[in-house]
Amino acid sequence: MKTSELTLDLQAYVDGELEAGRRAEVERVLSDDAAARVLVEDLRRLGEIVREHEPIHRVQESREFYWSQIQRRIEQEERAEARASGSASRAVHWLRWLVPALGVAAVAVMVTLPRQRVAELASGTPSGEFVSVTFRSDSEGVTVHWVD
Amino acid sequence: MKGGWARSAGSSGKTLNSFQSMSSTPAALKLAIASAADEQLVAWSKEGHSDAFEELVHRHRDKIYARAMIMMRNEVDATDIAQEAWVKGWRRLHQFQGDSSFTTWMTRITINLCLDQIRKQKRVRAESIDELDEEAGGVERLMPVEDVNPTEGMEADEVRKRINEALAKLSDAHRTVVVMHEFDGLEYKEIAKRVGISIGTVMSRLFYARRRLATLLQNLRRERSE
Repeated sequence: MKTSELTLDLQAYVDGELEAGRRAEVERVLSDDAAARVLVEDLRRLGEIVREHEPIHRVQESREFYWSQIQRRIEQEERAEARASGSASRAVHWLRWLVPALGVAAVAVMVTLPRQRVAELASGTPSGEFVSVTFRSDSEGVTVHWVD
Repeated sequence: MKGGWARSAGSSGKTLNSFQSMSSTPAALKLAIASAADEQLVAWSKEGHSDAFEELVHRHRDKIYARAMIMMRNEVDATDIAQEAWVKGWRRLHQFQGDSSFTTWMTRITINLCLDQIRKQKRVRAESIDELDEEAGGVERLMPVEDVNPTEGMEADEVRKRINEALAKLSDAHRTVVVMHEFDGLEYKEIAKRVGISIGTVMSRLFYARRRLATLLQNLRRERSE
């Protein structure tokens, strides 16, 4: 055996993971290389030992208690899911009313805003000691700022 | 429906025998469930019969717990993951098409949960063949030095115990590929996909893990004979 690649191919050979062409090459190597044969045999035997002796770990709780824990977790998840889907459906319900209402409001703003401009807008911004007043006339094309 | 709670969705899956026909009396129902094959219990469970699912849990709980325990190496995580696996099993039962056995399907859910947990705990180190070379002085250094059966003369329980101890000494990354390959029978490409590594990395990890296992088993055998 010369390379890591061959070593891994020998393992793949044992695991039945080599394609036919490469498998034939590996078999040629095996017929000439005693160390390769030892490795293959070693890997094969170890695999068998491990598979046949999977460690055993047992649940210590009684059947009833163990099931009750799982049952509780399932119920919790199902309740959480029901709550989540309930919230989502409530949100959808409100959106169904909210979206048209917002649409109507937007149209109303667009219709009334130009009329306000024609009627000469005025605004004041009192802030402590200073008062400023803005006067704009669209018809005259004039804007006056008054600061007092 | 028996059991106080049941799947809220409608029935799915194929019923092999009518659950109702078995439930004429509680004793008859109990007997029918206890003697039913897994396939039958799965079909009843898919219809929402929690009693049938409880029987599946009872039959296979040790295997699922053991798989979680082998992967996680601590009882708290293993207990939590095993229970979570059963919860997921119940909730995803409609996805189980019977392509594999029910236990195979359940152990794969368990392994996936273990992998998620290991990732969360950042226990898997990114290991490539180069890193293994650094760690072990090259793959060739891991060649067998003696052609012996490391468990020769041991009782089956003793071998199991030794293998468990040896698995515990592997890193999470190495133990994961051994468990997935040897116990779950997954192919390299499937392991690569599930763990998120290349096939080459699967091969190198598996090789390293096996050599390390062989060495650990030989050492344990020596310690035992001394």
